[in-house]
Amino acid sequence: MIVAAAVIGPQNQPLYLATFVGEDDAARLSTAVHCSLDAVEERVGAGLRGTAPGDAPDAYMGLLATEGELRLYGYATNTRSKLVLAVDDPVIKDDELRAIFRRMHAALVDALSNPFYQQGTPLTSPRFDASVRTIATALGAS
Amino acid sequence: MQLQDHLPLQLHLHEPGLHSRPVMPARGAGRECAESCMDYLTLELVHHYRDAQQGPSLQAALDAVGERVGRQLAERYARDRPPLTEPLEAMKWLCKEFWGEVFRKPVDNLRTNHRGTFVLRDTQFRWLWRLAQNQMPPQLGLSLPPAVPKTELAADYLVLPCAIVRGALAQLGLDCSVAADAASLPQVDFTVVLAGGGTGGAGAAARGAR
Repeated sequence: MIVAAAVIGPQNQPLYLATFVGEDDAARLSTAVHCSLDAVEERVGAGLRGTAPGDAPDAYMGLLATEGELRLYGYATNTRSKLVLAVDDPVIKDDELRAIFRRMHAALVDALSNPFYQQGTPLTSPRFDASVRTIATALGAS
Repeated sequence: MQLQDHLPLQLHLHEPGLHSRPVMPARGAGRECAESCMDYLTLELVHHYRDAQQGPSLQAALDAVGERVGRQLAERYARDRPPLTEPLEAMKWLCKEFWGEVFRKPVDNLRTNHRGTFVLRDTQFRWLWRLAQNQMPPQLGLSLPPAVPKTELAADYLVLPCAIVRGALAQLGLDCSVAADAASLPQVDFTVVLAGGGTGGAGAAARGAR
C-alpha cells in the first residue's frame, strides 16, 4: 500500500507530504522522499524520462530508490513539479502507479489553479489533501 | 439581438466567417461561456488600469496578471502532453495546444533562428479581431473619432497576451521575453526570445550528450 505521497516544486522545495502510517514515520518518509530527488535529477538531467533507457520519454519515472522496505516511485511533470510515492508493497504494477500519478497530477493542477495560491509555497488546500488521500487509499481497496 | 445595439463603437456587428471557424474543443470541458465575455473582460482590464488614478501602471498590472494566468494555464494544458524536453518541442506545444485553448485557434506560422528567437504569427488574432475591424456600421450614421493608429491602440491590448505567453513558458522552465507586433492587424507577430539563447534546462545536458 502507499505509505506516503509528496509533491516537490520546480526548485526542489517540498510542497506537500501526506503520510498514511503513524506520525513518527513522517520525518523518515520526508527524508526518504528527499533522497529520491537525486535520482530524479539524474534522470531528468540526462534527458531520460522513461522507465528504461530506450523507452519513449514519459512523465512516469518508475522506481527511483529503495530505502529498507520502502520503494520510491517518481513522476515528473512538464512544469518541473515532481510527484513521489513511497510504497511498502513490492507487488504494485507500473500501470497502477501510472494511473495513480495521473490522478494525483490532475488534483495538483486543480490545486495550483487556485487564484489565492502563491506559487512555490506549500500546498495547504484541504481539497487537494482529501483528493490525494482518496487516491492513495483506493489502491489498497482494489 | 437587442444587446448588439449597445455595443461599444469599436465592435463590428457583423462577423462574417469568424464563427464558422472550427473552435478547438477544450479537453474535459464541463462548463462553457460565450467568447464575448472574454472579449469584454480583457477590454475592461485595459480600460480599468489605463484610467485608474492610483495603483499599478497598466503595464505592471497586466504583466502580473498575465504571468500568473499563463503559469496556471501551462500547468493545465501541459498536463497530458509527453515531456517537452527541448525548447522547440515546448514552442510547438505553445503554438498548437496552448494557443488553441487560450486564443481559440493554433498559431499559423512559427519561425525560428535556431538560436533562441521564435516568431509566432497569428494571422487572425482573435483577441484583437474586433479592434482590427474598427468600422462604424453605416446604419448608425456616425463618423469615426479622430484617427489613432491601430498599432498604438493595440499596444495596450497586447500586454496581457504577451504576459500570458511569458508566464506559460516560464512555468515550463523557459525564461524568455515576449513582444508583439500588430503592424498589420488582424495579424499579430509574437517574438519570443529565450534567455540563454535557446539552451533551456534539461535540453542542454541532453544536447551535450548527443
